Amino acid sequence: MNRHLTEQELIEYEFKLASDVRVSEIAGHLEECASCREHLKKLQHKFASLDLLREEVKASDDLISSVVKQVAQPVRRRIISFSKPVWLSAAAAVLIVGSLLLISNLYKDEDKVAGPEIVKEPEGKTSYAESEVIKEKEVDSESRMVVGKMDERAEVPLLSDMDTKDATTGTYSLVMGKHKSSLEKDFQDSIDRLAVGGDIKEQISEQAPFAPASAIELVVLPRRDKVQLTIYNSADLTLVRERRNLTLKRGWNWLQFMWANTLIDPTSLSLEPLAQADKIDIQQLVFPARLRELGRWLIRSEVSGQVPFEITYFTSGLSWRAFYMGTMAEDEKTMQLQGYVRVGNNSGEDYENAQTRLIVGKVHILDQIAELAKRQYPYGRPIVGGAYGGAGMGGFRGEIRDGDRLFGRDDHAWYANGVFNRLGELERKEIKKEGLSEYFLYSIEGTETIADKWGKRLLSFEAEDIKVKSLYKYDEERWGPQTIRFVAFANDEEHNLGQTPIPNGTVKIYNQADSEGSLSYVGGADIKYIPVDEEVELNLGPARLVKVEPTLMNYKTENYVYDRKGNITGWDEVRTWDIKITNTRELSIELEITRGFGTSYWVLQFDDKDISYEKHDAAHARFKVNLDPRSKRTIGYTVITYHGVREETVTEITK
Amino acid sequence: MVNTDKSLIGAHLQGDTTAFGELVRRYGDSVLGYLIRMTGSREKAEDLFQETFKRVHEKADTFRGPRIKSWLFAIATNVAIDGMRKSRRLQVVSLNQKLDCDDENCEELSAVAVADNSYEPSQKAIMAEQKEQVRQALELLPARQRATLVLAYYQQLSYPEVAQVLGCSVGTVKTQMYRALKTLAQRLPDISGVAK
Repeated sequence: MNRHLTEQELIEYEFKLASDVRVSEIAGHLEECASCREHLKKLQHKFASLDLLREEVKASDDLISSVVKQVAQPVRRRIISFSKPVWLSAAAAVLIVGSLLLISNLYKDEDKVAGPEIVKEPEGKTSYAESEVIKEKEVDSESRMVVGKMDERAEVPLLSDMDTKDATTGTYSLVMGKHKSSLEKDFQDSIDRLAVGGDIKEQISEQAPFAPASAIELVVLPRRDKVQLTIYNSADLTLVRERRNLTLKRGWNWLQFMWANTLIDPTSLSLEPLAQADKIDIQQLVFPARLRELGRWLIRSEVSGQVPFEITYFTSGLSWRAFYMGTMAEDEKTMQLQGYVRVGNNSGEDYENAQTRLIVGKVHILDQIAELAKRQYPYGRPIVGGAYGGAGMGGFRGEIRDGDRLFGRDDHAWYANGVFNRLGELERKEIKKEGLSEYFLYSIEGTETIADKWGKRLLSFEAEDIKVKSLYKYDEERWGPQTIRFVAFANDEEHNLGQTPIPNGTVKIYNQADSEGSLSYVGGADIKYIPVDEEVELNLGPARLVKVEPTLMNYKTENYVYDRKGNITGWDEVRTWDIKITNTRELSIELEITRGFGTSYWVLQFDDKDISYEKHDAAHARFKVNLDPRSKRTIGYTVITYHGVREETVTEITK
Repeated sequence: MVNTDKSLIGAHLQGDTTAFGELVRRYGDSVLGYLIRMTGSREKAEDLFQETFKRVHEKADTFRGPRIKSWLFAIATNVAIDGMRKSRRLQVVSLNQKLDCDDENCEELSAVAVADNSYEPSQKAIMAEQKEQVRQALELLPARQRATLVLAYYQQLSYPEVAQVLGCSVGTVKTQMYRALKTLAQRLPDISGVAK
């Protein structure tokens, strides 16, 4: 080889990219050629810098455990085998429907009995009901919360009541602990309703059933249809609004809600029908004694079938934070800004396809939701012997009506301990937010699944062509001998923003490095909450391409004043400075220089008459200088500071 | 007895919840390291880390090979590139933590200072700046080139293994590697004379 090795050949040799034959040829040449060896050594030095990023990375235990927890559920495809013949499923469905028809015919006469009578039937007489109590306990021990968890179990049914499963949709429409004859009655109800065009034929007992602690006659919440999260970051508070289709039977229904192992605040639970509101009455929310972390609603329904409901409650454990990415155009006059939000979920509950809304602003709450969630009794210890029997009693008749969605207005023993007052305040804060617009609601477009223990980054907004002003600042007393770069813009319509306030967060700014869209990092800063129409100035850190070098050229003292004893009582100090400014950027820049004089008594004069300053404060002057691309400029000034009795002189001068 | 990767996947598919945990522990550090170098941000890397192992969980029954590493990195690469595509800016996210030094990075710097008392502040500053330059140089590489370089150089996979991860030929891997190195040769700082 009579020539020197190219860089390509050296790289191929160093990283074994060439064939073995070629590598040995290059090695032979290197032995003989000192110049190529030197070239290789330089390249090796270059690539050695890659090792600076070779630090050991450790996945934290939290991260690992969150991953493991997330996938801890059994692999679903192992539960349902799609390889099974289709006819097998069809045959099973036919058998189930046939059995139901047979049972309904056998018990047709018995089915004429009205619903409430079934409710009143003593538990002990019904072996079926007992078995269902046991099943419910199994669910208690296994599921974190019946709400929202039963849907996940659609493929892994815990209940043996497969005949209660909707054969077409695969979701549970009803039933946990449901009385056998009640099932049959529901079926007959449906037939009856069809026969008479939906008219109600039977009278519902006005007497509410008293069975809050038993597990019979329970309706379990089915899959969520919609869920909306409103996250109040500052208070570790999230308002959850869920829409679910409940299948009610005509008469009295118990609906059970469990919050075990979640951070849901049970005192905030609310239930409201979204249809047939005049025919559905939510009478009570009961927290049965001795049963932990569950509540039961008593619902009186004049209709039978599916009804959409909205369930609302507060939970803690959900949080969000904002961060931004700005990309400046090549001329640095405009910027593209993208806002992101990272939502974290440690609430103990998965939220699928949730509409996410974020609250910007502070909320004052009296209780920490997480603490409320962990209480054994949602409202403290039961009131024994109280007017209404304490927790678990069936006497509470607070009606849930518009205007007071949480609970009723009746005088009640719970009012006495002030808990309801506090709840009222919690609820009113929500109203306050919407009514007085003291907080800003930030909605994330579309829906997102936010699983427990997972974080998710969401794009919150994107704005193009935001006019920005680049400014360089030099202030030795604040930042030392370095120039700091700032980018300023306003959150208003003129800057293609101003639709919403911008929440506080971290912003990173990039520059368009070339026409192909390559970017280079400019700097980052933390921004505070930017209201609409407010300006913001981002400190992007030191600017290495703009240098400011002040040099003291001359110093002298003069105009000494003596007292009668010959002591010095006043004098002037005269300093002459040259400030050498270098702009090595390809763009013209504006530079703001702040100089301090250590006293309030000073007079400043620039050599260049075109430069003027403004008094920033008593001891500081501030002036601006424009520099062309790749240019240097030296600015000279003289400052006289007055001391002792000479301070009076400056007052006279300024006059 | 040491469980093989395949036996762990098998156990996971059978519903053994501890098997998956062992897999995550076994490969968590290297996958996280890979994703950090790919994305330039630990925070984003942790998001993608969770997504990677979620996909591993979902696609566990598609695993065929005796060793899981290539398969795992292939998933991580897809997740990282998907993530970049989604964020559209991910390939340029800076690793720069000088200005918004979070606790972790601050700890890293102080750890260096404690470990080496002879370290002058100026040297430390120079090294931090060079580190930053290296990060920026890596960030500016196209995603495929960066993946190739990170897998081959930092994760120390052989070129055939990288080819397996990226689903391409060894020749393509070498071409990508060369292009990445050629670009880096222009952008990397010269660290001669500076203590590492």
